Amino acid sequence: MMPVGEQQWEMLERIGAYAAGELGEEETREVEQLLFERPEYRRVAESYARMLVMLTTFGSEPVEVPEAVVGYAIRRAHVSAFMRSAEAFAGALGRSYIEAFVYYLGLRRESYGGGT
Amino acid sequence: MSSASEQATAIRASRGDVEAFRLLVEEHSGLVYRVALRILGVEDAQDASQEVWIRVWRNIKNFRGDSAFSTWLYRITVNTCLSVRRKEARRGEREFSGEKLPFLPEPRGGDADPEASALSAEKREEIQDALGHVRAEHRAALVLRHMEGLSYAEIARVLEVPDGTAKGWVSRGRAAMLIALAEENRREAGGSAE
Repeated sequence: MMPVGEQQWEMLERIGAYAAGELGEEETREVEQLLFERPEYRRVAESYARMLVMLTTFGSEPVEVPEAVVGYAIRRAHVSAFMRSAEAFAGALGRSYIEAFVYYLGLRRESYGGGT
Repeated sequence: MSSASEQATAIRASRGDVEAFRLLVEEHSGLVYRVALRILGVEDAQDASQEVWIRVWRNIKNFRGDSAFSTWLYRITVNTCLSVRRKEARRGEREFSGEKLPFLPEPRGGDADPEASALSAEKREEIQDALGHVRAEHRAALVLRHMEGLSYAEIARVLEVPDGTAKGWVSRGRAAMLIALAEENRREAGGSAE
């Protein structure tokens, strides 16, 4: 047999699902019957309904985003994009120097321009 | 921004276009900050939001547009918030022995009270505090369902869990939240009676 705490917890979750309108027809009827018979469960259902209204109201209230969040994100992206381009540029420059040096030392027969 | 143009902007950002990234940040910074605020509270929301955008920029090259950009963003936001929470000591969840059922007091003036449509600063604080007593994963699921209005399928995609698990987490979060709120109300009523 389930301990009282677990049984009540299960009932609590069921009433919560009922208050949120998430139960199927049959389960809704069962819970409504329970609410009719047990005033304390009815109070729980009413409490849930009140809580859900509060949560929805709380969730829909506009929040003011601190300017620092937006500014910081964009600055970081700019810096990171600059670093990426600088890295790519430095890489390309380094490769060109090496290629020119290899050509200068005569280690490769092709011309620097890529021709023969 | 329509969802098609949002996807197009995200794809541009994934190719390293900073201007497109700026548009995404401006459009979605509210979503990120709001979710971080609800999951973490005001002390950590700003740092977490900044961390989210760093992760978005770092990982956007992997964004292929298979899912909606907002789903992808919700996932990074929730994961960042959960990793912040894991680093901290877990706050105590409210005990439930099953002997006392959790009740919330009726609002003054009954349910037709016009005050019910707007929350007082005190009520907001109470909700935020109660959220802190709900296990982090359940809290995230609860926030996505009842504050962000996501479907269970969307929540499952964001949290990367099966639909049934998402449903279970919301359900447990809802029950834990009611217990925490009822406990706060009981303590307050006890305090004001003294």
